[in-house]
Amino acid sequence: MRLGVDAVGVTELMGVTEHTRALATAAAGLLLDSLDSERALVRPLDPGAAEDPARELLAEIADWAEGAMGRRGAPLLWRILAHNPHYIEATWRKDRALMSDGALSAHDKQRTALGVAMAIRGRYLIEYHAAILKHAGDTDRDLLEILGVVDHYTTLNTLSEGMQIESDIRPPA
Amino acid sequence: MTTIRMVDPAAAAGPTKEIFDAVLRREAGVFGATSVSNIWRCMGHWPALLEANWNRSRALMQRGRFSPLQRELIATAVSIGNACTY
Repeated sequence: MRLGVDAVGVTELMGVTEHTRALATAAAGLLLDSLDSERALVRPLDPGAAEDPARELLAEIADWAEGAMGRRGAPLLWRILAHNPHYIEATWRKDRALMSDGALSAHDKQRTALGVAMAIRGRYLIEYHAAILKHAGDTDRDLLEILGVVDHYTTLNTLSEGMQIESDIRPPA
Repeated sequence: MTTIRMVDPAAAAGPTKEIFDAVLRREAGVFGATSVSNIWRCMGHWPALLEANWNRSRALMQRGRFSPLQRELIATAVSIGNACTY
């Protein structure tokens, strides 16, 4: 990694990437195609009907969503995962641990997550991370800047894989 | 192993040489490169492709409002997702 990011920062980047891909897979597997999707493979749980600790977690997530996304209520993905208290708890705790400020800022992580979601065409996660970024003040031009990097690296990745180009860029000693 | 022979920057001429020189200046400044990286050398067989992608690189990776680090984070994450080892 270049630009002064150390091994911790690189590991955080890997974590943000795998987490976003995993959540996008979960959302796609549930047939969630937007934040306001009206149909999904599994019915979103009404927070009032959830059992603890899922009920407490959904309340916590709703508070977070209001502050981070400007939306009322826990997002659909979390309301679905709430059917399994172990699933939602482990996943939400992971989300908060990975997406908070660390060696990389929380804002940089959100921009990176949106780029990952765009690259894999994860509609639900695209809307999810775009909502967070817009609420934090990112503009349409900022979102387009993320898309530009995704677009350009899709080009470079395609060429380098298609031609099986060996990397000649080495990490600093 | 690369599927095609890579263009030797020392043998390049005209617009291809100009772009290789610009690529090396850029990569030397960003990560201390001492030679044109392989991805650009492969594109050198088709100058129109090299020029189009270099122009896009300048537009999308060098002229935005984000920090170089922010763009590199997104680029690396996308490359991981595309299983690109380069």
